[in-house]
Amino acid sequence: MILIHCPYCDEKRPEIEFANAGQAHIARPLDPAGQSDADWEAYLFIRANPRGRHHERWRHVHGCGRFFNAVRDTVTDKFETTYKAGEPRR
Amino acid sequence: MSDTLIRHEPVSDVPFVADGVRISLAPPMQRHALRARNAEDLERLLKVKLPRNIGASEGGIMCLGPDEWYLRSEAGAAIPKGEGLHLAVTNVSERSICLVIEGPRASEILMAGCPLDLDQFAVGRATRTIYETVEIIILREAEDRFHVEVWRSFSAWLWTAMTTAARH
Repeated sequence: MILIHCPYCDEKRPEIEFANAGQAHIARPLDPAGQSDADWEAYLFIRANPRGRHHERWRHVHGCGRFFNAVRDTVTDKFETTYKAGEPRR
Repeated sequence: MSDTLIRHEPVSDVPFVADGVRISLAPPMQRHALRARNAEDLERLLKVKLPRNIGASEGGIMCLGPDEWYLRSEAGAAIPKGEGLHLAVTNVSERSICLVIEGPRASEILMAGCPLDLDQFAVGRATRTIYETVEIIILREAEDRFHVEVWRSFSAWLWTAMTTAARH
């Protein structure tokens, strides 16, 4: 079982306590009314699908309940680092 | 009216006893979910000191998350509601029941379904985690005694899973 470091609990916890919540660092448009259909499509549906290093949101759902960001390698499934939500991209 | 109703517990009120472990239902108690951005606001309201580290417990209060605490108190204890303050005190007494797992094999029975390493889990620590597929809160009361808080609707299943583990 993979152990994932939760930046809020500050310890490594078993992966079944966590839930993946998709790609990280996707900012909601500040001016929703000014967005075109194509902009909305990009915001809502278009996601990176890299082979390798990927920024993801995770949630420690059966633990502290917090969302945080993680850098995971999609090939090896190895977590490079995790950091609190709101912190700059690593 | 309500105090004349008969309580109906979802698991047996007769303790399960097996070699080295005893699993029993804790008496009814009050439970409150406490949420606040600033722990000081809750401390002023409840007039107690809150544990600040996630996983710590102190005086019946467990710190489950950065802004979340879980308060367990005797049935009937008065807890202020904190109207108008930037915090939430929610009575969740009947949401869960508490199973007491005690005996020298207590941590072994829990680790049969919980992925945490409970040998490294100090006395007084509390955390939300998972048993097989059921979300639970574990509190280590003593070296060989754990409290397991579980939602009522999951408790019959958990009881069966734990007593089965204890039989082996």
